[in-house]
Amino acid sequence: MNSEEFQKKLKTYQEPLSISVSVSLSNYFDIIKYILDDFSNNKNIPIIYISATIPSKSISTVLDVYGIDSKKIFFVDCISHIMMSSTTYTDRTVFVESPTMLETIMLKAEYILNKYVMKNSLVIVDSINSLAIHNDMKILSEFLHLFVTYLRSRSAYFIILSMKEQSNNEISNILNFVSDEILEVE
Amino acid sequence: MEKVRERCLTGIEALDNILNGGIPKGNTVLITGSAGTGKTTLSIEFLVHGAMKGEKGLYISVTEASEKLLENLIVYDFFSKEMIQKGIIFIDIPEIYEKLGMNKLQFSMEDINLLIENIVKIVTEFNVKRVVIDSITSICYRLQTEEKIMEFILRLSKALSELGCTTFLVSELLPSAKGYSQYGVEEAVSDGIILLGNLERRGDLLRTLRVVKMRGTSHSRATYVLDITSIGILLVPLLKGGGELI
Ligand SMILES: Nc1ncnc2c1ncn2[C@@H]1O[C@H](COP(=O)(O)OP(=O)(O)O)[C@@H](O)[C@H]1O
Ligand SMILES: [Mg+2]
Repeated sequence: MNSEEFQKKLKTYQEPLSISVSVSLSNYFDIIKYILDDFSNNKNIPIIYISATIPSKSISTVLDVYGIDSKKIFFVDCISHIMMSSTTYTDRTVFVESPTMLETIMLKAEYILNKYVMKNSLVIVDSINSLAIHNDMKILSEFLHLFVTYLRSRSAYFIILSMKEQSNNEISNILNFVSDEILEVE
Repeated sequence: MEKVRERCLTGIEALDNILNGGIPKGNTVLITGSAGTGKTTLSIEFLVHGAMKGEKGLYISVTEASEKLLENLIVYDFFSKEMIQKGIIFIDIPEIYEKLGMNKLQFSMEDINLLIENIVKIVTEFNVKRVVIDSITSICYRLQTEEKIMEFILRLSKALSELGCTTFLVSELLPSAKGYSQYGVEEAVSDGIILLGNLERRGDLLRTLRVVKMRGTSHSRATYVLDITSIGILLVPLLKGGGELI
């Protein structure tokens, strides 16, 4: 689908489900913008953003440029530490030492959900490919399976971003397994 | 069919789920692990959740002054330090030793009786429902023989159980230790064992928890990853990606 269709599609979601969204390097930031804009501004749903691709600080900066209030978004940042990028501690950002600490990512998401969010939240993983660089496929698929089950029990939306350029069969299989819907945005 | 025993909820939701509804009331549970694995934190949270429900808690501090412990205690979102001090009785064991004139390095059978009597007295007087002894290892050190350790733990747990008390005995393990307790006796006579540990996986250090044994209930024996947070202890299953318990 093209980005216009994607935006329309986002609007149709009314019930929590698990969606995988395949993006390319050229539309990566646009897609993030559409998702956050729809969930944060239209649906008014709290968002937990798990950043494994670029530091949460950079994403915040981009969102500010796009006019999306990043103060409404919680970050679980699991890449800043290993990239040795400077980290600013805010009560909206939780740092995980390494993207290999998958259990800790779940624990931090659970912490934010329990502490700040009641229900109807959105959890975004950015991205499965970044996690795949640091983890073996078996543990990654176990993680996503467990996480999706947990988020269903919490009636949370779950969006997994995947990068078209870095995709492979194994990643597609995992996504097929854990997603209710698979969207490809050209 | 097995009679279902009344439960004592730890209040740590995931742990109560692992235990299929909490600790069977009246059990004496060994909370064991090496230094810094979260034994004291877990035990205090157990007392805090009791206090929140109006169940009086007793924390007997053996190794560390309870004042210092309270200072360093994590600040919970759901219960203030003032409330903790109101709902939980903190006693430093040197005070009891002194009161009872127990000044020998090695305790006699008589000393043991005195100590148990004294604890039971406090429990009865304040209608205590949850007891933590942190740590039992330090007391065992002064009991020395296996017989005396066994006698002490068995009699104490029987007395407390009859009073409707659920008890945590904190056990200090050396990282190199085999088994679940310093003297071996503690684990044999406890109704339950909760093992806390550290796991190293490809350079990452994770805190872990496993229920090794719990009389009176079925339970998961899987290993969980633990996080200490201001909303209490959180647990998720350990992913099966390899790694070695250390
Ligand atoms: N106030 C606190 N805030 C944050 N973390 C804490 C706090 N108190 C303890 N911890 C963490 O819990 C760990 C275990 O503490 P503790 O329960 O005392 O372990 P143990 O009793 O097994 O030696 C500490 O090393 C620390 O990382
Ligand atoms: Mg301790």
